[in-house]
Amino acid sequence: MLDILSVRLVVEIFINGVLFGAMYGVAAVGLSLIFGTMRIIFIAQGTIIVLAAYVVYWLFNTFGLDPYLSLVVVAPLAFATGATTYRFLFRKAAAMADKNTSLLIAVGLMFLVQNVISFVWTPNPKSIITSYTAVGFEVFGSRISVTRSISLVIALAATAAVVLFLRRTLVGKAVRAASENMQAAMLMGIDPHRVNAIAFAIGFALAGAAGVALATTYPFDPYYGFSFALKALIALALGGIGNVVGALLGGILLGLIESFSSFFISAGWADAIAYAVFLLVLMFRPEGLFATSFKKA
Amino acid sequence: MTREKRIIGLSAIIVAALALLPFVPGAADSYLFFLLYLFFLYTIIGQAWNLVAGYTGQISLGQHAFFGLGAYTAALVWSRGLFGAEHVYYFDPLTLIASGLVAAAFALVIGFPLLSKLRGDYFALGTLGFGEIVRVAFVKGGSYTGGPFGIVLPSSLYESLRPHYWLGLGLAAGLTLLIFWIRRSSLGLALVAIRDDEMAASSNGVNVLKYKLVAFALGAFFTGMAGCLQAYYLFHVSPEGFLNLNWTLYPILIAVIGGSGTVLGPVIGALAVTVVFSYANIFFPELHPIFSGLAIILVMLFMPNGIMRLRFRGRA
Repeated sequence: MLDILSVRLVVEIFINGVLFGAMYGVAAVGLSLIFGTMRIIFIAQGTIIVLAAYVVYWLFNTFGLDPYLSLVVVAPLAFATGATTYRFLFRKAAAMADKNTSLLIAVGLMFLVQNVISFVWTPNPKSIITSYTAVGFEVFGSRISVTRSISLVIALAATAAVVLFLRRTLVGKAVRAASENMQAAMLMGIDPHRVNAIAFAIGFALAGAAGVALATTYPFDPYYGFSFALKALIALALGGIGNVVGALLGGILLGLIESFSSFFISAGWADAIAYAVFLLVLMFRPEGLFATSFKKA
Repeated sequence: MTREKRIIGLSAIIVAALALLPFVPGAADSYLFFLLYLFFLYTIIGQAWNLVAGYTGQISLGQHAFFGLGAYTAALVWSRGLFGAEHVYYFDPLTLIASGLVAAAFALVIGFPLLSKLRGDYFALGTLGFGEIVRVAFVKGGSYTGGPFGIVLPSSLYESLRPHYWLGLGLAAGLTLLIFWIRRSSLGLALVAIRDDEMAASSNGVNVLKYKLVAFALGAFFTGMAGCLQAYYLFHVSPEGFLNLNWTLYPILIAVIGGSGTVLGPVIGALAVTVVFSYANIFFPELHPIFSGLAIILVMLFMPNGIMRLRFRGRA
């Protein structure tokens, strides 16, 4: 029997799941874009998000820059870094038929970045406490923090921006064409390196936005990025690889699975349950849960 | 052919010299001796990963699960006295083989659904998910697995590194020899055929699933034994030390640096990684992991086919 208290509890678990899942979602959208043109799982995405969170932390502590205001600095910076990273690390490997090279460069990059972070900022967890961190409001009797809600808004806005970019702009169309069939796209005069660089730049910019969302809501440490990337990967698989909106929905679904299973079963098992769902989806519905019928797997 | 014979002869001499090294007075106490042990351990896990990825083309990201399963098997069998109270568990061949078998059994159980349904990226992700589930299961195993702290074994039995050294050398040399033999057998031909063109192999009557499973389970078997060996060295089997994702990253690094898909590649790679890691550890202890990340990137950028294949650059 459900009384008022347990309804409120379920609502709270639900809202927390959605709010946290949205961050997995943004990370997954970045992965999805890069996978689309490069056909690699960019495993360093989570670590780039954590790096962005550290930059936000540094700007806040050194210059007193408001974390949300720092988005104006961090996102363009991340965009440029993404394009540069592609130019110097992945350009050569992208042309090779063997995708393992790109995958392993991403692994090396992840190693490198997380250890540079831990060298510069120490491995201890960090978090940003602003004057409004503790502020919250009530919905159906449950308290929701403002910062987490803003994170959700950032996630939704970032995904919407990517969708608009892909659907409305010529460059976006080129990226979509390249993800569907790189060979045909090249025959139409699309430069593969340019599309890849754009995918990387946007992927990194999304990581910048996710970094702001992460820095303002949860504590983070240098090694958190890897597990974050794994979660983003699960979100991607749930939503269907190559499906941008699906990636966001997959992230939210994953957030819900985690928050419900950690409440009803145990926090430690939540990870295992998430991975089990991931394995089941990979095996029985590799095209993802939200794939529309006409889409190829 | 003569070149190959020369390499085989040279390898035999090197292995024999390494096997006799512990008899040199003082050798067993030097830092170099420990590095050689590490080199053997790395060779085993590198070769095991290479068997699945280099020959069959299926990238496994769940090797740390097999390494941990082997180590935990050794620790559980020992701490619970599963083979009887009067049994000697330290360097016990029965435990060693059991460690390999448990890992191989898990590889078969998880490999059957994964390999029959998934390939490429999806298989890699599936094994990664499997590895994480195993890790969580051991962390949450309560008093049976010792939870996050793990199981401590009686370290008073430790006398010297010699038995570890010999066992490591034996496993590394044995596995390399086995792979050399596999490479020339019909099994090896089938594996390479699957890697190069799965469709063509299957239409020529190669049972793709069977061969992939054999390679996957064999790799897990040796990785599990390596886990058992490392458990006898550390005397403390914990999720942090054994189910760490490093045990998946190291073999990949080793095989790729040396040249994946070659018999001696992982050996060269293990040597390179041991040297780089230990030097970085001595000279820049704090920067050591940064160095490793940089090493992967540099190798991939400038010799994507590994050290072994440098001379065939035009072909690959």
